[in-house]
Amino acid sequence: MKAPRVGIIGIGQSVFTRRRDDASYPDLVREAVVLAMTQCGLDFDAIDGTVYSLSPDAMVGIGNAERLGVDAVGGRYKPFLRINTGGATGISSVAAAYYHVASGACDVVLTAGADKVGECGDSQTVLNKIWDPIYERPLPQGTITMLAMSGVRYQQKYGMTQEDMARVVVKNRYHASLNSNAHLRKEVTVEDVMASRHISWPIKLMDCCPQSSGGGAMVLASEAFIKANKLDAVWITGVGHCSETYYLGDRMGKGQLADHADAYALSKSIRRSYQMAGITNPQKEIDVAELYAPFSNTEFHSIEAAGLAEIGTAVPQLNEGRYTIGGDIPVNPSGGTLCTNAIAVTAMIRVAEVALQVWGKAGAHQVKGAQRGVASGNGGDHQFFGTMIVES
Amino acid sequence: MSLKRKTAVIGTAILAQPGDDPRSLEELLYDVVQDALRDADLTIEDIDGIVVGSNDQFDGRAISIMAASGSVGGVDRDILSTPSASEHALVMATLRIASGLYETHLIVSWSTTEASSLSEAQRLGADPYFHRRLPLDENAGTALQANVMASSVPGLNDLAAKLAANTRSNGARTRSSVSLKGGALGKLPYPLTDEMVTAPVTGAVAMVIASEDYVAENNLTGVAWINGMGWATETGYLGDRNLNEALALEVARDRAYGEAGLTSPLTQIDVAELTDVSPYQELMVSDVLGLSARADWETDVASGLFSADSNLPVNPSGGVLCFNPVFCTGLIRIAEAANQIRGCAGKHQVSGAKTALAHAASGFAMMYQCVLILGAEPTGEIA
Repeated sequence: MKAPRVGIIGIGQSVFTRRRDDASYPDLVREAVVLAMTQCGLDFDAIDGTVYSLSPDAMVGIGNAERLGVDAVGGRYKPFLRINTGGATGISSVAAAYYHVASGACDVVLTAGADKVGECGDSQTVLNKIWDPIYERPLPQGTITMLAMSGVRYQQKYGMTQEDMARVVVKNRYHASLNSNAHLRKEVTVEDVMASRHISWPIKLMDCCPQSSGGGAMVLASEAFIKANKLDAVWITGVGHCSETYYLGDRMGKGQLADHADAYALSKSIRRSYQMAGITNPQKEIDVAELYAPFSNTEFHSIEAAGLAEIGTAVPQLNEGRYTIGGDIPVNPSGGTLCTNAIAVTAMIRVAEVALQVWGKAGAHQVKGAQRGVASGNGGDHQFFGTMIVES
Repeated sequence: MSLKRKTAVIGTAILAQPGDDPRSLEELLYDVVQDALRDADLTIEDIDGIVVGSNDQFDGRAISIMAASGSVGGVDRDILSTPSASEHALVMATLRIASGLYETHLIVSWSTTEASSLSEAQRLGADPYFHRRLPLDENAGTALQANVMASSVPGLNDLAAKLAANTRSNGARTRSSVSLKGGALGKLPYPLTDEMVTAPVTGAVAMVIASEDYVAENNLTGVAWINGMGWATETGYLGDRNLNEALALEVARDRAYGEAGLTSPLTQIDVAELTDVSPYQELMVSDVLGLSARADWETDVASGLFSADSNLPVNPSGGVLCFNPVFCTGLIRIAEAANQIRGCAGKHQVSGAKTALAHAASGFAMMYQCVLILGAEPTGEIA
């Protein structure tokens, strides 16, 4: 059974910033929804169902906070459900919306959400609670320490230096300076990054993503609806998901199921997406990538997992500018997760940014001639991975 | 719109954890998944994707799905999670199979009682500015709805008590290890009584579903076809709702009945499993689903319409009233209905059941509504 084509017809995203004291949580969701609905030119009667994108409830301090967002997405008396795969939630929600259309259940589906990470107090305190309460929570484990361990391992295996990590920050901050929706838009130098304080060695403050607030929304529709209504669209041609273990210890040492330096499940998820889209040589066939990398070191293994470099070879290629706008395959031309992270929608924004690129609507950070791109999202303790291919 | 291909339930497992059972959550999940796979005569290697429904607040884990990775077989496999409701996991998995990209799916949900206060965990779901200070847990939402209903139906409180007794009588046939005494943890809001609700317990449910192509290629028999599926939501703010009606349920009903070609539920349905968060809600749902009109409630309850021996047994399993693992009660209704069609419901099997209705509801005063029509044969729009 051939997968039907599903199009993206509307995109909305906030101008992300640390705090949005002017807007409640549902207000932020609504802000993005209005932008997406305005772009596609439909009214809410045309929306057959909604997929709500929200990662940990604790981040917004409301249990099952999607319930308070029902009216913000115009969801009352319609099919509605929420997706949560941690940081991957946004891309998983787009995938869930895709299945709503591809299954024949709906012609037009809205997916939307928002986060107020900058107002949650301390996201690492919240994120510590994702771990097993007996074994890993008391270490204390956090997503920074978790991926610092990956960085240490990547350094040991492939020779990455802290200066190499800093060059990822320099690249992405440059990209974000061109993106009016990005949170951290000030350009920095390698020296600036190296001078910032260590958070969890080898990760320093500027190697970390910010705590962002803002919303994201996308409208997806069936090919028949798009043609019948003569709508402008770009197309989702590949979708994949794959998971790793819960316990980090299972990715380390003897008997490891996957190496914490690499992103094994991400590479498997991306392979599924490529296979569905008919991509056999991503270095030739992918024009642009938005890869979820909340810390500078993780962009390297994400590039490798996406097949945009051989394993262990991303560092020199990034240093040579291959992944900068103007290079061969720009990675995170929006500035990426490293410059904006409103967790509930971060991975949705990865898809949205690839869609804008292949649509030719990315503005100042447009990658010239982009026709096909890959997006990814990571969630849990580097555990749930979602990936998507979008084409013009 | 209808789905592009049919899906069937091919395996289920429902697990209740007695108080003295020392198994951890991960052990429970492993066991319930393995039971469902055995029931489907599959191994985890045959599963294309997994959808999990769990609640972060009840589990005390910020992303509760994470714990499921290993124990449900998710490592190296594709997992999604629907924390909005357990029944949404079934909906999502069915859509994934209907898309043509998956042939099989595992669906898992659970609910624990380890939170020091489920009531306090539920109250976190209220709006933090206006409603959080109210004692608004799920029992309170249920009671508010019951009071609104009682104000328009004279004698409803007595009727609800009788219906609860009928349902307990159903449950007594099948459940030995779970308390049938009723009661809640803490004081119940009026008009709910100990006889009308049951204290939360720890439980889990797993289901295995497969595409019509997979069923045909593997010559599977004794499956329960999902012939109709509808789901919809009310608004999140109780103050914006008329709790005396269930408009989202009407939307879900119309979709499910339409897909299944169901026009006369009283004559076409052989057995129903309804989410009876209290007997008041069971009556409202019965009305909207065309099983018992409001005007007939008194005579229908008195005549035992809903009893296990009647023409239309409702909740022969005993319903939520006899087994209340709070978060996963919706998916359990669907599994129970599927078991009736597959002829494996055990002591509460309804003889010759060919068409079953499953209703799931979640959130304050049944905010999320879901209706499924399951059948022994594929029927409806794309059969």
